[in-house]
Amino acid sequence: MGVRRTGGFVLALNPVLCDGFGHCAELAPDLVHLDEWGYPVLTGEPVPFSNLAARESTRYAVRGCPRQALRIERVNLSQ
Amino acid sequence: MIALTSPYLWYTTRATGLVSLILFTVVVSLGTLVANRVGGATVGRFELGELHRTISIIAMVFLGVHVATTVLDSFVSTGVIAVFVPLTSSYRRWAVGLGAVAVDLMIAVWVTSLVKSRVANRSWRLIHWFSWLAYAIAIVHALLAGTDARHGVGLGIVLVSLAIVAGAAVWRFSARPTRAAGRTALSPLGSEVGEPRGDQRHRAREKRSTGNAGRQFDRGPR
Repeated sequence: MGVRRTGGFVLALNPVLCDGFGHCAELAPDLVHLDEWGYPVLTGEPVPFSNLAARESTRYAVRGCPRQALRIERVNLSQ
Repeated sequence: MIALTSPYLWYTTRATGLVSLILFTVVVSLGTLVANRVGGATVGRFELGELHRTISIIAMVFLGVHVATTVLDSFVSTGVIAVFVPLTSSYRRWAVGLGAVAVDLMIAVWVTSLVKSRVANRSWRLIHWFSWLAYAIAIVHALLAGTDARHGVGLGIVLVSLAIVAGAAVWRFSARPTRAAGRTALSPLGSEVGEPRGDQRHRAREKRSTGNAGRQFDRGPR
């Protein structure tokens, strides 16, 4: 996969699958916060693909979810 | 190349068998820690998960060597088929057959985990439960077929591993990690239900953790 210079992504959650393991908040603390019961609250803000650090941690969060409840959704960023 | 009649293949089989047992004990224990929501403050939960994932790959490599050297060794006649199909080995039919069952189960668990993102999570979980059965069968295989597992250090390793995983199993099946304890308050039915469900233990722990400075890591139910 080459470096994608345009566009962005949002981290999306399937709340039915989520069991509140909390791995995502550890792996992507900039994008995920936990509510007081340990379930993730996502910022929902589109992140440009050029933000490599955020991309990396998001990918780890998606991979690290024990319930496969997270996914990366591509969005078009309006400049 | 090592002659296929030399004893070294046999030694490798025995050694990798024991190492696989130890590694799978670690893997199952780590998996239990993840499932029971251990970690958060001193060690991250994700770190336990990553260790579980990584060490399981190392353990599968050792299992592969264990199986390969058994097949290659010409002193005992165990064919490639006997690795996967139970009870087709002329050498120690039942002991090797149980090993084949354990290998089949472990391959199922391993492959579904490798392609986890393409497997429905419920299916993956169902198949992952079989790792307990695979471990139990592997222990019986070790005791039946293991040259070193009958006495001394080998027996000690088997018994300690069995004790650790048996303890993990009891913990896993009895702890029932809290998860939806607070969900009712947030759900549309929350106003009808009123109080969030959840036992006293959970609430006490919740209270303790709210004053914690390391909120980012320590806000989970467990």
